[in-house]
Amino acid sequence: MLEFKNIRKSFSGVEVLHGVSFSVARGKIVALVGENGAGKSTLMKILAGIIPEYSGTVRIGNQLAHFKNPRDAERAGVSIIHQELNLVPDLSIGENIFLGKEPVKSFGRLDFRKLYRESDRVLKEFDFPFSSKTKLKNLTIGWQQMVEIAKALRLDSQIIIMDEPTSALSENEISRLFEKMQLLKSRGKTILFITHRLKEVFEVADEIAVLRDGLFLGKYPINEITREELINLMIGREIPDRTTSFENEAKAELLRVVNLEASREGAKFLSQVNFSLRKGEILGVAGLLGAGRTELLKFLYGELKARYSGKILFGNVEYQPRSASDSISHKIVYLPEDRKTEAIFPDASLRFNSSISALPRISKFGFVKTEQEKNAVNEQFQDLKVVMKSVNQKIPTLSGGNQQKVLLSRVLLLQPRLLLLDEPTRGIDVGSKAEIYSLIARLASRGAGVIITSSEIPELLRVCHRILVLSQGKQTALLNVPETNPREILSYAFKQE
Amino acid sequence: MSRNLSRYFAENEWLKPVLGFIGIFIMCIIFSPVSSKGNLIFLKFDNLTNVLRQVSEIGVISVGMTIVILTAGIDLSVGSILALAATTTAFGIMDWQLGFFLTIVLGLLVGAAAGFINGALTSWGKIQSFIATLAMMTAARGFALFISNNNSRNIGFGKGAAPESFRIFTTSYLGIPFPVFIFIIVTVIFAIMLRKMRLGRHIYAIGSNEEAARLAGLRVNWIRTAAFVFSGLLAGLAGIIHAAQLYQGNPNDGVGFELDAIAAVVIGGTSLMGGRGTMEGTFAGVLIIGLLSNILGLHGVQKDFQLMLKGIIIVAAVLLQERHWRFRFFRKSR
Repeated sequence: MLEFKNIRKSFSGVEVLHGVSFSVARGKIVALVGENGAGKSTLMKILAGIIPEYSGTVRIGNQLAHFKNPRDAERAGVSIIHQELNLVPDLSIGENIFLGKEPVKSFGRLDFRKLYRESDRVLKEFDFPFSSKTKLKNLTIGWQQMVEIAKALRLDSQIIIMDEPTSALSENEISRLFEKMQLLKSRGKTILFITHRLKEVFEVADEIAVLRDGLFLGKYPINEITREELINLMIGREIPDRTTSFENEAKAELLRVVNLEASREGAKFLSQVNFSLRKGEILGVAGLLGAGRTELLKFLYGELKARYSGKILFGNVEYQPRSASDSISHKIVYLPEDRKTEAIFPDASLRFNSSISALPRISKFGFVKTEQEKNAVNEQFQDLKVVMKSVNQKIPTLSGGNQQKVLLSRVLLLQPRLLLLDEPTRGIDVGSKAEIYSLIARLASRGAGVIITSSEIPELLRVCHRILVLSQGKQTALLNVPETNPREILSYAFKQE
Repeated sequence: MSRNLSRYFAENEWLKPVLGFIGIFIMCIIFSPVSSKGNLIFLKFDNLTNVLRQVSEIGVISVGMTIVILTAGIDLSVGSILALAATTTAFGIMDWQLGFFLTIVLGLLVGAAAGFINGALTSWGKIQSFIATLAMMTAARGFALFISNNNSRNIGFGKGAAPESFRIFTTSYLGIPFPVFIFIIVTVIFAIMLRKMRLGRHIYAIGSNEEAARLAGLRVNWIRTAAFVFSGLLAGLAGIIHAAQLYQGNPNDGVGFELDAIAAVVIGGTSLMGGRGTMEGTFAGVLIIGLLSNILGLHGVQKDFQLMLKGIIIVAAVLLQERHWRFRFFRKSR
């Protein structure tokens, strides 16, 4: 039904798809897997008309489908749901579903009656428990995503592409999403989804298409391939199971947080936080979405202007988080969760992006010592195995995983004593993940303290010494890793008053 | 080949405006009127230095404007600051008898102070720079009128008036007018600042992604304020040149200069969204505007037509800067 034939695509002289060919039958759920930079997103953007220039052919049914723009693709029945949702929070569900395609009466007045009637019909078909007049901002991220799907349904799309649909969802939101995907499938829709979570692949997909470095490696029915085979196929190398050693002789204490309680505008966002962190220790912070993981890190970094009580000791001295620049001068550094909005400078080169925080150290009389900068950056990039053409290329030309490595080099160049990593592996392929975790372990072994958040508990178990669990901003447990398991962590994460 | 080329263009943003300048320069030579002796009038030394002299005031302002725009801000107050500094210069040298040195310091300080207010309002007051500098544009003009009692002040020389040293602004060295040197020196200094100094990196950073800049530990408020101080300072400097060249401090001068400066910056390839652009590009942008009005002037083209053409040039320049446009152009012609 859908066929890619010899698709090739280059970005500024670098070929990222080297002739990808495969076909998908109608009514299947196909997972696209592969490391970052494998070309999955590019291929999907070609299908959805976001990238109009490429060589090769795409056919839907027996028709040539070379779309010039997303609207073109939508008309032909192809919808894409991006990782970052394209919705307007202040509008209602119905208005969002019809965004840009609103039904109008005479004199260009919106036909709200029709809009809501149509929206409600689509939502009902989809077992959606809200009225289409509900404001979008009152929905959780998970339901907002469902609105995107409803949008595709309204257009009667036959092919629905989802780019990492689960990356921002909680466990039960994910299972609800999968239910809906099965529902769509039963109605004959074809779903292509990109994911980095192999567990999900085996849960929901019928077939798995594997890409590596712009090459198509094959498409496998779900019951003909094992997880291990799949991983080996994707990365072509083995990943060690555990990156952190437990031979952690009792080192000096680096950070102690006693009875921390913090609130902003009267709303408490952290309470009963008690932990200590030794030099060389990696502490994981687990919790559901909105449990206060990011808030804890940002608070320690001085980013959240909050009233707080309790005590923070950093290197045995009482410490008060003031601002990002102040924290950096104490060698406390933070890597933000959201690369795009909080971390990268999209107009600038890799070198610029890497050295920006460390400039005071590598400049004299306000002038940047370019040679020293180049050497420092290059050393980091080699260490982190950044795949690039030159340090002068602009950062958006890199894949997500490589961008993240560049950002890691930014914090590492500061030679941190305390490293706060907020979801450092979000949306990153398995290979880069392993590299980043082994790097964190190495850094810790040199004496830095690391606090790391992740929504993927197995990852925390792989890299951390201890795990702090938050539930609604409250610390519910502090667990030693060898003695705990995902089930216990989850039960604390769900614990409520 | 064309791929490598387009990558080279992407990594060296100054290239396009500079090539544009060279192209316009060549066009000016081709279309130059010829004198009775058979010489190209455009290429005459006097004509070329004249172009430079005419753009030097706007040029100095554009340097400051570039810095502000790189931080994703805008400075609408530079024309008024120029008038204010020109006025204080005329009064300083004539009525207040400050002497050469102090008069100049006063003009620069006035500009820097106005710039600081702009910066503080934008940074700590969280007012959009468009609004903050719009307010300053009005207020500075009012202050200039207040000082001068609504009149312009002429500068004369002699006892009880301006010292002879003040004539330096109207002199030439090696045939090149003094203000041109100032323009070139200012451009070079700030080009080096943007390229080589930490502050330059920081200016690009906050223009590219302010949130990321703060999280990366940059003192965003201070950096932005510094950008506005530079802009105000340079507008003050332009005001001093202005007064000294015209032997007059007129509180009504400099109207619309901010828009000319913005035009030069944009033609020079700096993005109004911030984070992208170069001082070299602005220098080229200033010269492109200067060359065009010069060649049109040599042909006796009237101001009305010149203005219309300038509008077209601004749009054409921006369209040519758009990388995708360029890229597609290459691809199709292949």
